[in-house]
Amino acid sequence: MSSDSDYDDDVMNEFDDTMDEDSIMDDSDDYENSLDDSGDELEYYEDGEDLNFDGVMAEKHRKKLYQVDYTVQSSKHLMGSQDKEVGQVASILGMPKEHAATLLRHYRWNKEKLIERYMDNPEKVLRLAGVVTDKVRRIIPAREISTPQHPFSCDICCDDEEELETVAVSCNHRFCRTCYEHYLRQKIREEGESRKIECPQDGCKIVVDEKTVEEVVDKNTHLRYRELLNRTFVDDNDHLRWCPAPNCEFAVECHIPSTSLTTIVPTVECECSHQFCFGCGLPDHQPAICPLVKKWQKKCEDDSETANWISAHTKECPKCHSTIEKNGGCNHMTCRKCKYEFCWVCMGPWSEHGTSWYNCNRYDEKSSHEARDSQTQSRASLERYLHYYNRFANHQQSAKLDQDLYRKTEKKMEEMQQTSDLSWIEVQFLKKAVDTLTQCRMTLKWTYAFAFYLSRTNETVIFEDNQKDLEMATEHLSELLEKPLEREKIAELRQNVLDKTVYVKQRREILLEDTAKGLLEGRWTFFVDLK
Amino acid sequence: MSNMKRVQKEILAIEQDKEAHIEVILPEDGSMNHMTAKISGPVNTPYEGGLFTVDVSVPPEYPFLPPKMKFVSRVYHPNISSQTGAICLDILKDKWTPVLTLKSALISLQSLLSTPEPDDPQDAQVAAHYKRDKEDFEQTAKYWTEVYANPNAEVLPDGVKPEALARLVDMGFGRSNAINALAEFKGDEQAAVESLL
Repeated sequence: MSSDSDYDDDVMNEFDDTMDEDSIMDDSDDYENSLDDSGDELEYYEDGEDLNFDGVMAEKHRKKLYQVDYTVQSSKHLMGSQDKEVGQVASILGMPKEHAATLLRHYRWNKEKLIERYMDNPEKVLRLAGVVTDKVRRIIPAREISTPQHPFSCDICCDDEEELETVAVSCNHRFCRTCYEHYLRQKIREEGESRKIECPQDGCKIVVDEKTVEEVVDKNTHLRYRELLNRTFVDDNDHLRWCPAPNCEFAVECHIPSTSLTTIVPTVECECSHQFCFGCGLPDHQPAICPLVKKWQKKCEDDSETANWISAHTKECPKCHSTIEKNGGCNHMTCRKCKYEFCWVCMGPWSEHGTSWYNCNRYDEKSSHEARDSQTQSRASLERYLHYYNRFANHQQSAKLDQDLYRKTEKKMEEMQQTSDLSWIEVQFLKKAVDTLTQCRMTLKWTYAFAFYLSRTNETVIFEDNQKDLEMATEHLSELLEKPLEREKIAELRQNVLDKTVYVKQRREILLEDTAKGLLEGRWTFFVDLK
Repeated sequence: MSNMKRVQKEILAIEQDKEAHIEVILPEDGSMNHMTAKISGPVNTPYEGGLFTVDVSVPPEYPFLPPKMKFVSRVYHPNISSQTGAICLDILKDKWTPVLTLKSALISLQSLLSTPEPDDPQDAQVAAHYKRDKEDFEQTAKYWTEVYANPNAEVLPDGVKPEALARLVDMGFGRSNAINALAEFKGDEQAAVESLL
């Protein structure tokens, strides 16, 4: 094998990969452009949906089955989308923007539903959302509404000076401006409320609209309010999700409905390079689907350590299957629960031990065989779980150790630059290799959770083969990276690592592709209910 | 304190309204952020005839934050802790709005006494009792009202607990003798009984 041509292949592959990423980013650019030109917007959505269902389009974009379309959005961009939606609804329903916004928030940004309901019964919709469209001046000086018989007095602070400014929203419950501001500030700053700040009057469900909030509160509180509103735009929208990485302010838009989470794992990558599942927000868990991940995590929380201990330290009564820990004494056991007497060593009935007390030499006897068999069976399910759990946990642990590997690798790369004539760009292959390794470990980890729930069919053999291949390749790569550097062998190592990295990457893609395909085709059968 | 004016006005309103059967006692130092309220038990409930003492503290953010209230008298009620007097009432928590007043909160307490919510309990044991055997629950509640919220109760000497006194009276000892004995032994029931025998 000529190493030169091999290297070219790698380079080509890497190039292809970057192409892939670019094509995803292209979508986001498209979307951004479409914002400026509202006519394009529909086209974009059509495109997006085509990609999900149309194989030809997918081919063109070189999209893998396990990948989904998504766009990453900045908070500025979100504000834009929000304003656009509000503007659209305001013009359709012919109402001020702040009311349209309140309505949209009430209907969780489901424009179609809002318009449909509004057309049916506008009064009811407005009432439910807490909007009254009557023209009411929001801020009025107290002297304008005070009469000698009924001087204005704020119900909150009981102040009744004529210089007061009064505030009310469309329900016309008036309070003095200071109290109104204090109330809003309390709601926004302390309670983090934004979408549904109701009028301070007890029992009044009218929502204080954005414009009033803007006019009444100070600038910082208003900024905070906008931020909170922005957040509800994402929180309430089924197609948007915040990146869960700490301090990351991006949101991801993805049009995978929650109903297809049993057939697809929508892994997305944020601008901050955090990879997570759009469906559940957890870090990337391909190829396991969200319902399985949830079940698996619950099981592990409940079981793992306890199960380990039970399996290591106890046996079951051959008759009633109570779990027994032997913490001393002889081998003549009497079950506390069912009073069955048996031998701890061979698990056979004690009655057959005759005169050879405390000296079990009856291992091959039929009855003890049977006892052990039933024991084995009931332990099998536990063993099976532990088999998968141990491998799952092992990869998780290894992935953690990769943090160390990162540091070591950095040092290695420095060393390489000093001891050989390789340039900075040429030693980047090590970092790339560690990245791939970590990614493969995460994938492998989840293959075990996936496999645990898989009912055994001929298809599972294929899955396990793919898993085995990936695991072997990953371990090889890991071994290569751990090796100490030898000056004269650097070129060889570099070649090896490059080869392996590409190979491992391909194995991962094969596994993910096949699993994703199987999910779409309904090829896998799980022994648990996915609902 | 910026809410002084409002609190003053509220207390005045409570004093003027004789129908509500609510009384507010301000501390002698003249401060307005801590006071004691007395509410009478609603009629046709096991709490009828009782006068319950409620500890009220007004936070500086009042009326934008609710006042803090808890029962000082022990009350046998699903939504009131039988140990600490803590109250589970929505308007003292998230349903509070600044137009509500001390008076409206205290009236709500009264209505809480007449309409317990055993499905949203503060005191799980009491709530379980209520759901299991309402009649028996009411008897206990009535007993507690008589013992802990009796407006006619004489002022007992230090160390004499009303429940201990009630038990001694139940045993057949004279009331004043029992009080003296309990006071003498600083509340030690056993010793008091022995001295009385």
